[in-house]
Amino acid sequence: MVVNKPTIIIYTQEADEDLLREICAGIEEEGVLYEIRPREGGLDQLAYEAARESMLGSGIGITGQRIAMQMERLPEGRNVFELDHPRFWQCRNLGSNSARAVKKMPFKPVYGQEEIRE
Amino acid sequence: MKLIAGVDIGNSTTEVCVGSVGEDGSFRFLSGASRVTTGTKGTLSNVHGIRVALEDAMYSIHQPLSALDLVRLNEAAPVIGDTAMETITETIITESSMIGHNPSTPAGAGEAVGYLLFLENIWKGKPGVPYIVVASSKFSYEETAARLNQRIPELDIRGLILQADEAVLVENRLNKEIPIIDEVRHISRVPEEKLAAIEVALPGTSVRMLSNPYGIATLLGLNAEETRMVTPIAKSLIGKRSAVVIRTPNGNVRENILPAGEIFFHGEREEQVSIDAGADDIMDVLQKSGEIRDINGQRDTNVGNMFERIKASMLDVAQTQDHEVRITDILAVDTLAPVEISGSLAGETCMEKAVGIAAMVRTQHLPMQKIAERLEQELHVKAVVAGVEAVMASLGAMTTPGTRLPLAVLDMGGGSTDAAVLEPDGSVRTTHQAGAGELVSMLIQTELGLESRGEAEQIKKYPMGKVESLFHMRLENGSMRFFEESIDPRYYGHVVLLAKNEMIRIEEDIPMEKILEVRREAKKKVFVRNALRALAQVAPGHDLRKIPNVVLVGGSAEDFEIPEMLTEALAEYRIVCGRGNIRGTEGPRNAVATGLLMSYLTEAGRDR
Repeated sequence: MVVNKPTIIIYTQEADEDLLREICAGIEEEGVLYEIRPREGGLDQLAYEAARESMLGSGIGITGQRIAMQMERLPEGRNVFELDHPRFWQCRNLGSNSARAVKKMPFKPVYGQEEIRE
Repeated sequence: MKLIAGVDIGNSTTEVCVGSVGEDGSFRFLSGASRVTTGTKGTLSNVHGIRVALEDAMYSIHQPLSALDLVRLNEAAPVIGDTAMETITETIITESSMIGHNPSTPAGAGEAVGYLLFLENIWKGKPGVPYIVVASSKFSYEETAARLNQRIPELDIRGLILQADEAVLVENRLNKEIPIIDEVRHISRVPEEKLAAIEVALPGTSVRMLSNPYGIATLLGLNAEETRMVTPIAKSLIGKRSAVVIRTPNGNVRENILPAGEIFFHGEREEQVSIDAGADDIMDVLQKSGEIRDINGQRDTNVGNMFERIKASMLDVAQTQDHEVRITDILAVDTLAPVEISGSLAGETCMEKAVGIAAMVRTQHLPMQKIAERLEQELHVKAVVAGVEAVMASLGAMTTPGTRLPLAVLDMGGGSTDAAVLEPDGSVRTTHQAGAGELVSMLIQTELGLESRGEAEQIKKYPMGKVESLFHMRLENGSMRFFEESIDPRYYGHVVLLAKNEMIRIEEDIPMEKILEVRREAKKKVFVRNALRALAQVAPGHDLRKIPNVVLVGGSAEDFEIPEMLTEALAEYRIVCGRGNIRGTEGPRNAVATGLLMSYLTEAGRDR
């Protein structure tokens, strides 16, 4: 299938809706467009194909509560970020990072503790 | 055969060198090592560092420490260096507060004025009054947008300040176009009910109204006196993508200007200079006053406090010798230092003119003999103090291929820049100048506003690159470097330092060009000025042109760009100048330690 809109592609398989919404919010805040499409496959494969088919070279795969972010030309399985049963802030930042990969900006933290706000 | 070690204790590193002497006087260098100096140079705590360095050097030739027959310490130059920095102008305390920052994604554009109102209190809002709503991160973007949409028909909502990074998300769901500022961390410090002006710049530009004192006056209705006092705020908002200025008339208005102060030189002539005059004038006056006995600053001024601090930090050396601390040389350089704006809600700073000073304290004699005694007790190896540092450095430098006498040695260490000229008849003239590598690190740290001195040290030491994709980076000289294996995503989009076997990420968001400029300027300001100053001091008739060649030694000579800067600067005087290559193998390190071994040979020769 030929994709010719400048979007980040998100391939989902029975994706957790709450996590997906946070990821999308992260991308939206960065001002980048995205497309969500259901597809069959393993997590690595979904993320890899999403990045390969995205015109922006950035993609996300979700199966259930597992999430992987990929960038084009990285080999399948070498996910840039990978989360399993994540917290909301992790999803938000992973979404931001998929947009920041396009904007060539430094990534936000995805692992560890959330920054404590006053 | 005897094993002999030379030990050179510097302000920042301790260098050792091990060689063997045969029965027939034949001589071989075996190994060298370098370790951080423990404690202030010339104190007993140095012994620990010496021991570690010696163990290192002996380990690499597979020998125990006890195999050493003799340790030779240098009579270290009796100078200790320290650095300090002080701003010249004190910021005025104003009657306004401000938030100025660069959120990556603010929303909307333009400016707005209104009274601050927290989202949880929005039901208190009265129709007809302009409001700027403040929302903490406990509200989600959907909730914030919904609550605002509900009130927009009746309330005059002009702008929005968010704690979370959700400006675009809220804007996309809002029925009215208003400027939105996000990522305001300390939202609880925002005072409610006060009049505030907010501004979001158009994409690719920075704020216009709030970085202009008259712009703030226009928006907040200030009179001439109030406008004057708000100027530091305007200045600190220059270049920001978004800003908030809050009028807090109850804040205590007082103008607090601590005088910058005078520096007093007590030398052959008594001279004084105001620190306001800047580094060039200070250095001129310093030169005019001839040989210096002591330097201090006017009491209860910025510069007075600075000299007090320097002297206090050197007290531990002085105490061991029971005499007062006297500063005998300074190097002043102009710099910029971040100063926190009073009234800033998130620790915003603005750059103020400042003077960085490296000071040097001359001591009577460093208690090297005591160090030698302690070393002897601990290692059970004979240890002696032998030779003056500058002479040893010249001897060591002579082993650089391509040199001849008279030879000038420029020893650029951490704390001081020392120069010596070795004449063909064996006579040596020496000088010690304040200011070297540590001053450069301090300048880099303050001008870039870095958290740690360590990071500044690393910026000084290593070239940089910017990671532009997971497969390539652009180096500071403009060339590209490609990688077969993808780069760790932690480095993506960051400026990184290219250390030997690793990349070091710079945490602060500073453009590579800016870091490059600050780094080069800092090195030039310190080393080129000091090299000319020091060489003129030891040159025959103080004429630089009478020195045919200069060998650069010491830690800072290992730097990847300082020697080239000096080669260029000294070429003007037809001086051959370059990085030393001690024994043809060691590079610029180890000159003194090597000199100590060589002088042993001459002494031993005499004894026979």
